[in-house]
Amino acid sequence: MPNPPPGLSERQFRNALTQLEEIVGREWVFHTDEDVALYRDAYSPLWGEDEERHASAAVAPTSVEEVQDIVRVANEFQLPLYPISTGRNLTYGGSAPVYSGSVVLDLKRMNRILEVSERDKTCLVEPGVSYFDMYRYLRQNNIRLWVDTADPGWGGLIGNALDRGGGYTGTDFRDHFDAHCGMEVVLPTGEVVRTGMGANEDATTWQLFKYGMGPWVDGIFSQSNFGVVTKMGFWLMEEPEVAKQVSITVPRREDAIALVDILHSLMCDTTIPSQTSVSSPVMNGSNDPELVRLRSSGGASDAEWNAYAQSVGRPFWSAGFVLYGAEKVVDSQWEHIRDRMSGIAGVQFNETVTHRFPLTDDEVEAAPNKARFGIPSLNLFGSRNAPGQQPSEGHLDFSPMIRPRGEELIALYDLTGKIYADYGLTPSPAIGMMFHARTMICFHPVPTFRNAADNQRTRALFETLVTSCGERGWNIYRIHAHFQELGMSLFDFNDHALHRLHERLKDSIDPRGVISAGRYNIWPRHLREDDA
Amino acid sequence: MRWSVLLVVFGLSMPVTAQDDTMPIAAWSRTAAIEESAGSLAERGRAVYNNWCDACHRNANQNAPGTRSLQFKYRGELPAALEEREDLTPELVEFYIRNGIATMPFYRKTEISDADLAAISAYLASD
Repeated sequence: MPNPPPGLSERQFRNALTQLEEIVGREWVFHTDEDVALYRDAYSPLWGEDEERHASAAVAPTSVEEVQDIVRVANEFQLPLYPISTGRNLTYGGSAPVYSGSVVLDLKRMNRILEVSERDKTCLVEPGVSYFDMYRYLRQNNIRLWVDTADPGWGGLIGNALDRGGGYTGTDFRDHFDAHCGMEVVLPTGEVVRTGMGANEDATTWQLFKYGMGPWVDGIFSQSNFGVVTKMGFWLMEEPEVAKQVSITVPRREDAIALVDILHSLMCDTTIPSQTSVSSPVMNGSNDPELVRLRSSGGASDAEWNAYAQSVGRPFWSAGFVLYGAEKVVDSQWEHIRDRMSGIAGVQFNETVTHRFPLTDDEVEAAPNKARFGIPSLNLFGSRNAPGQQPSEGHLDFSPMIRPRGEELIALYDLTGKIYADYGLTPSPAIGMMFHARTMICFHPVPTFRNAADNQRTRALFETLVTSCGERGWNIYRIHAHFQELGMSLFDFNDHALHRLHERLKDSIDPRGVISAGRYNIWPRHLREDDA
Repeated sequence: MRWSVLLVVFGLSMPVTAQDDTMPIAAWSRTAAIEESAGSLAERGRAVYNNWCDACHRNANQNAPGTRSLQFKYRGELPAALEEREDLTPELVEFYIRNGIATMPFYRKTEISDADLAAISAYLASD
């Protein structure tokens, strides 16, 4: 049996577990070493080291009433709980708690789709519902709505939204927290609240109007530890008549400036409705020595890069996106986009595929970019890509945000390419993703391993990336649990006034400090170094 | 040979249309909670497999990362698709589900219970 949570004796811990078993049944309280090990972070950058975070036990309820009872037991024993939804937040900490010794509150068994309204284009779900589950329900019932999915389809609608994850489809849907409408939360005291219109028991618009009346509090339950979210409503996208997937290439490195400016404009005026990715077929090419030299240089000139691009016969940048809607509208949008881009010398336009909906089962299976059409999959997971090659073991996501400007995209990858090279690693692929029209999120995978020596280098690389980019104003939007203190430390206006506000909220809402201690560096008073 | 299973979808039992074994299962029909008493152990195992394993280990799917990875690993010496393997023992299946390998994570018991795990083993060991 694992060690009890810090501050609890073995006897207190056993008594607490006995009470939890009375709530959910013995089968659903996990406390053997073997079962608790399944709550480790499979991609932990601390795998097998003393500092790796471990749970002490896990408890898996099936109802909001059971969650309330569990929270009350946690208050009685000051038992730290760590809620997870589907528990698949890999690259950001998985199902392992931030505060080692916490009891994981595993909500996977709360997996009911409570409502889907085809007419209102909304749903209401519990935390264990995955993107696969929702897609299947819609397809099975011939409901012509899409759920915007995270890359891995086993992720949960609620968990991904609360960690502020994103997807690929329409503007109102791919920011998953922004796409929610109304939530139910078990507060750390055990009280249940509903937000927005849900606070009025007679309201017919809980999943339609976000704000209700008075302060809108939903935001404090994301990337935080102020409660256990047990229900959330989401807006679903109406299935379009067609979806035209296209790409635009430009030949020179400096063309990124005009390309991104025009894309930004076309997204702001809603001509382009989807997530737009700008990647470099040149920089993301094979590891030949000249490419490695250029990427590691920290600032090779446009002339050097353009000569290299010419030598490998590839356009420097490629932008990909999807147009959704009625076919004649989509065709007009595409014509307008080509007109806007036509001033860039050497620009080329490519129509990848046009889908008509609904798709047949074979078309669903064959679609290579499923998430862009609301189809969950696991296809993004890495595999060996050559005979004999060692597969990767995991990765962290370092995704700084920049302004939507080509020159900033170039400068970012100059900087990070050199940092990766300084640590002896191949630089990250270059890709700027416009989940929002007004920022680019630039994905950098940082590999993790099952050995301490390699992970030590990984952590040093990750920390250097965070601080170096932070110094240039390129902050991250989401971060692995181990680095949340570092990530939050960059938000330091007025001597970290925002962090102090978070702590004051924590002390008020969770006075016993039982929910997700340390998540996004928000610690309860009894665990804060300055107050301990 | 025909087969049928019962899946419990969000509390509602619904029959899945009987299909030939050779007929691929549509991508959308994967994933659902599996009723404990549905069919034989191997039949239930197939439903559990489709729910949790098929998205990565799908037969003959060039996009399935698990199948693709095993193609490179075995170079034709063993089938890349798990459903075509004849050497998978329950111990081996349990090891990978509970320990993971490379980017494949391990599965918690709220995802794949011990009973589900036994069913997957029975399915993969069956003809």
